[in-house]
Amino acid sequence: MLNINNLKAGIDGKSILKGINLNIKPGEMHAIMGLNGSGKSTLANIITGKDRYNVTGGDITYKGESILDKSPEARALDGIFMSFQYPVVIPGVNLTYFLKAALNAHRKHRGEEELDSMHFLKLIRENIKQVDIDESYLKRAVNEGFSGGEKKRNEILQMITLEPSLSILDETDSGLDIDALKIVANGVNQYRNKDNSFLVITHYQRLLNYLKPDYIHVLIDGEIVKSGDMTLAHELEEKGYSWLES
Amino acid sequence: MSLSHFQSEFKKMMNRDYFSSTIHPIRKEAFSKLNECGFPTQKWEDWRFTNLTSLKKEFYRISELQDGPKQEIDLSPFHIDNVANIIFYNGHFQKDISHIPSGVNLMSGLDYLESKEWKYDKANDSPFDLLNTAFMDSGMSLVIDNNMAIKPPVRMVFISNSNEPIMVNPRIHIDVGDSSFATFIEHHIGVSSSFFENGSTFINLDKNAQLNHIRIQSNSPKTVSMANIKVEQNQDSQYTFFQYADGGQLGRLNMVTRLKGEGADCNLNGLALSRNNQHLDHHIITDHQVPHCTSSQNFKSILQDNSTGVFHGRTIVREQAQKTDSTQSNKNLLLSKNALMNSNPQLEIYADDVKCSHGSTTGELDDEALFYLRSRGIDVMAAKNLLVRGFANEIMTAIRHDSTRSFIDDQFNQWLGDEA
Repeated sequence: MLNINNLKAGIDGKSILKGINLNIKPGEMHAIMGLNGSGKSTLANIITGKDRYNVTGGDITYKGESILDKSPEARALDGIFMSFQYPVVIPGVNLTYFLKAALNAHRKHRGEEELDSMHFLKLIRENIKQVDIDESYLKRAVNEGFSGGEKKRNEILQMITLEPSLSILDETDSGLDIDALKIVANGVNQYRNKDNSFLVITHYQRLLNYLKPDYIHVLIDGEIVKSGDMTLAHELEEKGYSWLES
Repeated sequence: MSLSHFQSEFKKMMNRDYFSSTIHPIRKEAFSKLNECGFPTQKWEDWRFTNLTSLKKEFYRISELQDGPKQEIDLSPFHIDNVANIIFYNGHFQKDISHIPSGVNLMSGLDYLESKEWKYDKANDSPFDLLNTAFMDSGMSLVIDNNMAIKPPVRMVFISNSNEPIMVNPRIHIDVGDSSFATFIEHHIGVSSSFFENGSTFINLDKNAQLNHIRIQSNSPKTVSMANIKVEQNQDSQYTFFQYADGGQLGRLNMVTRLKGEGADCNLNGLALSRNNQHLDHHIITDHQVPHCTSSQNFKSILQDNSTGVFHGRTIVREQAQKTDSTQSNKNLLLSKNALMNSNPQLEIYADDVKCSHGSTTGELDDEALFYLRSRGIDVMAAKNLLVRGFANEIMTAIRHDSTRSFIDDQFNQWLGDEA
């Protein structure tokens, strides 16, 4: 599904990722753990196509094709989704309108008929129940007046609506109380199947306890220094990161 | 600017047999005052950013009877559901296709002045207001009695269509009686190859009266459009104003609202869209003269190409106007590196127990928001359009008449589509 090969990247001449290798197969969930500034979000942003980073070496292939030259929207339509660490408030853009535009762009790309308002509303009302957001929020501007937790749940709503093959969850757990965390984790788990892959980025073990990823990677200073299974996450929770630093 | 062009036209004006000579003294007085002060130059504080060259270059003649419509006017391109239309064509009232809802007393400017014993009002002491008084040739007065709810809204449509440079000076009076309610729409449109419209509007709201005032300025790109609006508000009256401006080579709104009665509420909103070399200007004064009034100024501009814009808002809170609650906001979106916006929100406060705020932002599209939309599969052009729409949508909610809002919405989408 996703193959990252010796990826090196930076911003404004500063090197952040120093040779990342990662291979995610269909149906797998990988988690990347690491401290602030280790390069976790940079990695997520580069996969998604944010253009403020310079890739200085290596490649990212998705479903067998290099994606580094593709626009963010082309990557999205091919099935890459990121749940933002800081979802953006977009004043004046109605959430329903935005979701419908995004879904119909995907449907068009897949050669499916675009949904009319009635069928779209039916679908979105089903989906919004899964993330426990009140229907009235559909009338608001995107993320406007949403609490931190509601913004994150709105990201999951977009995920289950757009049905991506690869979902990147960039610190989706940060700032969530335990109830919101469960809702988010349930949303993700329900969407998980043998075809969909996930890359979960987090500081904490908490979310991982609910998601139970297949692989854990530790990112320190732009490099994956250790990989393992859930026991590695437990170990990090106990001992912190310092024992892994060289 | 030289007034000599206007001199000969003024003589013609005085000799017109279809205007009553009773108002000649009023015209003469205004014209001689105009001669004294002259037209503004960019040395005048309030005209620093308004370049009147396009007005200076042209020799506009007054609109004659033969400038009336040659054929039946097709109103369908600017049809708005559920409004009563009063139509003017190059300044000439089109009685046959105009309708007046019951409860409204429609008067000619002359009859209105007569009813006021020839006391005439000044919009805001600007030279263009004097010019309007000297040349007033069209427009109507709407007088609404006490305790009336006027439905449907009254729309005055000003159509300009001429191959020659002509000017019109519409003068509108709107008096809304005690506890009455009305919606008034002025709609300025046209395809003129050269046109100068200099309108003055006087609004008086009696106790507890409510007026929604919507102004659509979609003149031809060769039009100079001056709007001089004066509003007087008495106790507990409510005035809501929305201007949508996407027309004209030079468009300027000069607006003064005076809050003279306690409890009056005044909300002024505007959206200006400019492209090419257009210049769209807002000069807005809200004058709090008595305690316990509320007001807001909320103006937005979207600029592309080499276009320019001005927001000059001033909220005055006089010494006795305690407990004033007012806000002032100006937000501008620059879609081109060459576009230029001058924003100058001012508060002038002489009272000590008031709540006033103001703010101004000017910037480009938000990169983070753009990336967010694109990361959801929305292509870059559609995403940009969506953000521009969002920027405008926020203020469109201030249009308090559904079918007019949807008309303006369509108009905006067209503008946005043209841009792509």
